[in-house]
Parts: sequence; C-alpha cells; structure tokens
Amino acid sequence: MIEIDNLRLAINGKEILKGIAMHLQPGDTYGFLGPNGAGKSTTIFALLGLRPYEGGSVSVLGEDPARNAVAIRRAVGVMPEKAGVYDWMSAMDYLEWFGRFYAFQPSGRDLTMMLEKVGLGEEMGRPVGTYSRGMKQRLAVARAMIIRPRLLILDEPTNGLDPKGRREIHDLLGEFATRKNTAVLLCTHLLDDVDRLCNRIGIIDHGRTRLEGSLSKLLAQEGGGRPYRLRLGSAPDTTDLPTGVAVLGHEGGWWRVQVQGTPAENPSALWSELWRRGWKMMEIRAEASSLEDLYLRHTGPEGHQSQEAA
Amino acid sequence: MKTWKRLLAAVLMTFWFVSVSEAAQPPVSLMLQPDNSNPAAPMMGDHLRFWSTITNTGSSTIDGLVAWISLVEIDPGNEQPVDLEDWSAQKAVTGARLRPGAHLMTAWPMRLIKGGDYRVVVSVTDRGGRQVYTSPTIQFHVRQKPVLQVGRVLPVAAGIPVFFIGMMVFTRRRRRRA
Amino acid sequence: MNPILTIARNESTQMLMSRRGLAWLLTFSGLLSAFSVLLVSNTELSLLDNAQVLYMMTGTVLAAGALVAAILGSDAYAGEKERGTLIPLLCAPIAPDALLAGKAIGLLAAWGVMFMTSIPYLWAVGASGQNLGAAVCYLALFGTPVVLGFGYLAMAVSSRTGSVITSLLTTITLLMLAASPLLIGPGLRGTAIGRALDAINPLAGALNTFDSVIIDSDPFTAQTTRLILVAVWLVIGLLAARRSASQPVFQ
Repeated sequence: MIEIDNLRLAINGKEILKGIAMHLQPGDTYGFLGPNGAGKSTTIFALLGLRPYEGGSVSVLGEDPARNAVAIRRAVGVMPEKAGVYDWMSAMDYLEWFGRFYAFQPSGRDLTMMLEKVGLGEEMGRPVGTYSRGMKQRLAVARAMIIRPRLLILDEPTNGLDPKGRREIHDLLGEFATRKNTAVLLCTHLLDDVDRLCNRIGIIDHGRTRLEGSLSKLLAQEGGGRPYRLRLGSAPDTTDLPTGVAVLGHEGGWWRVQVQGTPAENPSALWSELWRRGWKMMEIRAEASSLEDLYLRHTGPEGHQSQEAA
Repeated sequence: MKTWKRLLAAVLMTFWFVSVSEAAQPPVSLMLQPDNSNPAAPMMGDHLRFWSTITNTGSSTIDGLVAWISLVEIDPGNEQPVDLEDWSAQKAVTGARLRPGAHLMTAWPMRLIKGGDYRVVVSVTDRGGRQVYTSPTIQFHVRQKPVLQVGRVLPVAAGIPVFFIGMMVFTRRRRRRA
Repeated sequence: MNPILTIARNESTQMLMSRRGLAWLLTFSGLLSAFSVLLVSNTELSLLDNAQVLYMMTGTVLAAGALVAAILGSDAYAGEKERGTLIPLLCAPIAPDALLAGKAIGLLAAWGVMFMTSIPYLWAVGASGQNLGAAVCYLALFGTPVVLGFGYLAMAVSSRTGSVITSLLTTITLLMLAASPLLIGPGLRGTAIGRALDAINPLAGALNTFDSVIIDSDPFTAQTTRLILVAVWLVIGLLAARRSASQPVFQ
C-alpha cells in the first residue's frame, strides 16, 4: 500500500526529510511515531503529492505521488491534525458536500450511520461552529472514513477526545482495519493508541526513520513485554513462575513484574495462573509501556540513535 | 535748422503712426457661432455644439496655436467658472500651425449637465505671443429637468437593505431551529 | 459532481447563506442606498444629469466589486489556511487548477450577486435618463474581467504568502494605485505618466468606458482598446494565480 525508501525532501532549501522509510501492507495498522518537528506531517504531505520530494522512492497504492497525486487522493481518506471543517455548515451537509469529491457518493443513510458511529447522531443538524473541539475531531474522522478509502491516514485522531470519544474512534478504526485490502497509517503522540491499534510502527526523528517493523517483534527484540506493579496480600513464591512472567524487583510494598507478549494481548490468563500459584493480588497497575522505552531510546539528539528494522 | 527739425519730427511721427497701426491690428481673428441644430430652449441632458473659426490675419505663420473653450455660470449669486470635465471631452486644440490668411474651424460639442445661465467663450494664444485673444461670447440658458425621482429612489434604497436584513433573520432562525 | 462545481457551490453558498456573506451584502446595499438618498436629498447632486448619476453609480459598484474581489481572493487560500480548512481540501482529489477555478467561480457568483443587487439602484437613478441599458451591459462586460482580475491577483498573493493580512494589504494597495489617477483627477492624468498609467490601468479603462458610453453615448467600436486592456489584465491575473496556486503555502 505504501512503499517509501530513503525519502529526502527540502523546503525552501532546508532539508526536512533525510531518509524516511515506510512499508505498509494491506491489513496493517501502522503507527507513525516521532517528536514534534520530526517530519511526520511532511512525510504524509509528500505521499499525497503535496510536497515535491528530491530523492528516494515513493509509491502509494502503486502510484507515484509526483505523477498521479489526484488518483492517490481519490483512494485515501485523510484526517489532518486540525479538523478543518466549515463552521457554518451542519455536519450532515458538510459530509454530503465533501463526499462529492470522491467516486463513492454516500447516501443519506450512509451519512447518518457514519455520524452515529462517531457519536454525532444527535448533533448532525447543528452548525459545526457550535461543536466542541472533540466533536469537530470526530467529524473529521467521519470525513476521512465516509468515502470508503483503501488507505486511511489519521494525524492525532484522538487528540482532545474524552475517554468515551477515544473508545469510539478506536472501535471505528478497529472495524476499518478488518476490511479487506485496506490499511491505516496512524500518526500519534499517544502511545496507548499505538499499543491498542497498531501491528507495525515506524519511529522517525530529525527527518530519518530510526526504527521500523512489526511491533511485537520490535518489542521482543528489545527484551519486550510490559511491566506491571502488583500489591500482594502475602509474600509470593518467586521460584515457581509461569512462562512469560519475570520478577523485576520488590520496592515499597509493590512487586514489579515483566509480562511478555504484544501490547494488545490481554494478560488476564497470566494473572489467573499466578493467583493459582499463590500470588494473592490485591491490586494490579500497568507501568509505562515498553513501547515508551522503545520510543524514548530511538528519539532524542540527532546522531545518538541507530536505524533498525524488524 | 528749424526745417530739419520739422522734417525729422514728421518722419518720426510717420514711423510711430505706422508702427502703432501695425501693433493695433491683431494677428488673429476669432468667431464663435452656435450650431444650427442646437435646440432653441435647451434643457439638461441636451447636446449643444459651437463652432469657432480662427483666422490668421497677420503676415507671418502662427506656430503652436492653442485654443480652448471656457464656460462660466452666470446665475445671480452663483457666478463661477465651470469644470468642463463632465460637460465635454473636447476642451482644447493644441499645437496647430496657421499660415497667414488660413482658417481653423473647430467644433466644440457639449452635453448640458446642470441647469442655469451660462456664457461660453473660446480663447486663443500661440507659442511666441504674449497675448490671449478671445472670441465673442455666447450666452445660453439650460432649463432644469428633475433627474432623480424620489418616488423611485426611496423604495429601492429602503427595500434592498430590508430584504437582506430579512435574509439574515431567516437564516439565523433556521439555524436555531436546526 | 465536478470538483470545480462542488467548490464553487460551497463558495457561493457561503456568500449567500453565511452571516459574513449576508453582512457584506447588507453593507453593500447600505452603501448604494446611502449614495442614492444623498443624490435625491442634496440640492446640488439632485440636479445632476441622469447619465452623470448613472456613471457615478456604475463606478461605485465596480469599485466595491474590486474591493470584494480583493477580500475574497485573499481569503481563498490564506483564509482557508488560517482556519485550517485548506489542508482537507488539498488532501481531497482536486487538481490545483480545479481548486482555483472553483474559487474563481465562487468569486464570480459573489460579483454576480452584487451586480444583481446594483440593478435596482441603477434603474432607480437612471431610468428617466439615457443609456441605462448600456450602463448595465457595460458594467457586466467591463466590470467582470476587472473584478475577476483583482480576485485572481489576490488569490496569487494569498496562496503564495499564506497570510490574509499580507494579501489584503498588497491587493488593496494595488487597487488604490489603480484608483489614484482617478482620485487625484485630471491634473495627473494629463501628464505623460498619468496617460501611461491610464493606458495600462484596467480600473481607469473600465471607468473611462463607462464615461464614454453612458455620458457621451459613444459606440462599442470606440471601446475595443479598453476592452483589450481589461482582457489582458484578466489573463495576467489568471496566469499569476495559476502559478502560485500550483504550490500553495499550507503549513
């Protein structure tokens, strides 16, 4: 779906992208991570043909953005960082109007269903100017999805949303990702979103890809797994542990353990097994994910990181 | 000796008389006439045309001749020169050359913009001379015409903004209902 | 639907249905109303000839149209950028020329509404005189390329700078420059520089045509040079806008 190798791009003579790589296959939900100013948005604009690039190879849905940008955009739903919706229109009118640019013309029923899915069903007739930031954000997600794209590009889709709104967007993206022959490119600062939704990630910094590949493999390579803190009713037997659990230490009444597996996997089976082995858990708290460690290790001052792939 | 003095005085007197006679004779003559087709009682909006004829009555060619038309309003209490900007596009003839005895005939069209009493005159001078010669004046009266009808202007001037205010109220109510 | 028409529909609906658009139309009609009332209430002005009044009214409509073109053109790209609505448009399958054409049609629609609004006023002040029909026709014929040319120029600056205020200042300065020989009067226009400015100034070209047609009842054949002037102005504006809008500033 997206094949980018060694993408280089300059704006007004300043080199912004110095070597970006990105590989998305159908079915992927790709987390595109990087600090502010790393070049995430510029990469997205380059693959949509909005920024001419100077070197490297870029192919999106089999097309070169430098030649067939309009054809690419016809099959890509984009939600930029700022919702960018017209305040004077109603959500219903706006989606109906925007849909006219695409081959798929959504019916009134399609529009209503989509607005209900993003939680704007009751507000669809109101002018968008009266919406909160989160509501506009949800409308922008609906705009990107209503055209039935093959590729969905979302820049901070859950930014500014309350937990319920985030859950709705997660569900929508999860549902979209199950469709055949589609893929999602997710730019976000929220690692929890990546943890929940993505199977592949790319970390960029200072215009270069620092790390790219399958999330589970990368975490495994990094001595992956996820750390938890457990408050126990009694001292446990640390010699008899189920596979996939390692004790990291004991401090301040909390036991720190590392649970192997992908972030999306639910460790409840392991908790049951530990309970069976005498670990009387009164409280379980997840610590910062190892994805965060991974991210922090590969971002920072330029030259301190190495490029890796899995 | 006395005879000599008398003779000298006679010669000088003759030269002076001849030179004064030459100087008193203007080198150009100017005529100004209304066109035959001009309405007898013109009113605002009508077109008038005047014809000037400039003749070189001197013995040498006049170079760089400039002729221009002036209009003066002479209504009592409102006497003033008129800016011809809106009245006529033909305001002057410049740079003409006129041999001795030749004529220059010029048409001066004019559209009557405002009612009142007016006097029109054509003036002429040349590059070398210091004199300005003027034609006889023609006086005419322009009858006033009510050009703007209050009964037509006021409904439009009030109605159109009211229409847009109505549109604003309508769209605001529609938004509130939505 | 064709993307050009989809954009044009949005632009023109905004002009007719949004609070901003209606407020502008109300201001415009208020200006023409005030001018009309002044004409009938002022002793001196009320005696002006119909053709003279008609000429003044067409000039006012043209100047207001050029001003609106400068405002809407400046908003076309930079305003969308500042409101964050430009990026979704650029990410949609719309070619740069189609976006520009849609914006231009939207501007034409705005000018069309202004033109239609001005017709009752022209009728009110000019129906009892001469050349009312010619005034309306020539306002459309010369006003449209002049207004669209200013709009294109504003769009060129707006897409190149991405700043509404810069674009507005640039375009309005140019509009003032174009109007300055007319404001300063015949003194400047009589000089070589004044004549040269008049020869390349589309606004002066249109106004001189209104003068010639409405007041002097000159035929169409006398206006061809000035018609070419405004057409050239339109083409220059279009080329500048196409060049800038192919790579607009959006970030």
